[in-house]
Amino acid sequence: MADPWVVVVESRGPAEGGQVSPHLSNPQKTHTKQTMRRQSLTMFANATRSLLGAGKHLRVPLSIRSLSSPSQLNAPETKAAPQANPTSAPEATATSERLGALGENARLPRSVQAVYLRPLRRKAEYGLPVCDLQLRSYSVENVEFFADFAIRAAYYLDLPVSGPVPLPRIVERWTVPRSNFVHKKSQENFERITLRRLIQIKDGNPQAVQAWLAFLRKHAFYGVGMKANVWEHESLDVSKSMDQSAPEIQKSLEPHLAQFGQRKDNSAGNNIFDILDSDRFAERKNV
Amino acid sequence: MSKMASMFRPKKLDLSGFVNTRLIRDHNKRNAFEQTEPERQALRYMIRNTSLPQRVRAQAQLQLSQMHAYTRPTQIKNRCVASGTARAVFRDFRINRFQFRMQALAGELPGVKKASW
Repeated sequence: MADPWVVVVESRGPAEGGQVSPHLSNPQKTHTKQTMRRQSLTMFANATRSLLGAGKHLRVPLSIRSLSSPSQLNAPETKAAPQANPTSAPEATATSERLGALGENARLPRSVQAVYLRPLRRKAEYGLPVCDLQLRSYSVENVEFFADFAIRAAYYLDLPVSGPVPLPRIVERWTVPRSNFVHKKSQENFERITLRRLIQIKDGNPQAVQAWLAFLRKHAFYGVGMKANVWEHESLDVSKSMDQSAPEIQKSLEPHLAQFGQRKDNSAGNNIFDILDSDRFAERKNV
Repeated sequence: MSKMASMFRPKKLDLSGFVNTRLIRDHNKRNAFEQTEPERQALRYMIRNTSLPQRVRAQAQLQLSQMHAYTRPTQIKNRCVASGTARAVFRDFRINRFQFRMQALAGELPGVKKASW
């Protein structure tokens, strides 16, 4: 369950290297513990939806632990009341009032409050797509959580973001006989459903986009694979800037280009079979 | 060139996990093919190149046919890494259909569940 294909693709636009079509790099496998952060995950997944409109709750001075489950919200009150005076009712109400007042005066930091609300977004000025990030996972929780995380991270990096767009699921099915030998009549079906989410960054600074991608890779979530297409845009007089940078590029390529071509001493009357029998080929064969 | 398959056998076992004679043999074939691929390609190119003299092309043909069978890509067969079986091996997981079922039911294959629709 927790073994994703982590594929990261970065393709540059035509202005950069002329390489238009994105291509997959070799998928690397990452193994992570399934139990890791499962707790925090469910906490956010549930809390974001249920507390959407409940701004008042957030003013209550809560410890982090008590936030994790709504049932514990009243725990401090019920405990405090018997301590103050278990016999008299008016005393108890006073205590709760006092706590309520405290809740109104003190509050969680804004950044912590924001975790319980819908993610904030920047507005795109031009709407020019700069980066497409695709998240893939076999579990809804993981991919939803990480998409949410990515959107929040983009907000703090000042990147306008659209999404997460739920892309079509990839369903793979296999049918195998139940037995190890013959008995084809009794078979069993298995399937693997890959869930995908698309997050698009619009007219962001390329450096900020790189920082965002690096941040997401650093905090990669278990069971979630990432794939990014990055586009860079140039001004209209690209040719001028390319002409200016041409000598530099040529200079940097010189050591590589020097390797091309035929050696003069090699071509002097040598038979191809001699070459195939030469030490260089023999060396490889004996490895 | 001797025709011994032992020349492709490493001195020390270079495989881990499930090991089988046939699995080792297949592994050796893969290594042999990898090592001799440039030579094979050079000879294949010479055979097909009509601008070369006929004698050279014939020589190349002979040389290619005399290469060891282990250096041929057609000798390579996908085998189950968990049981060594050569039949019904899934490319996605590199295991046999029965091993696939066992591992899927044990939850060892990420994302694979019993399907019902």
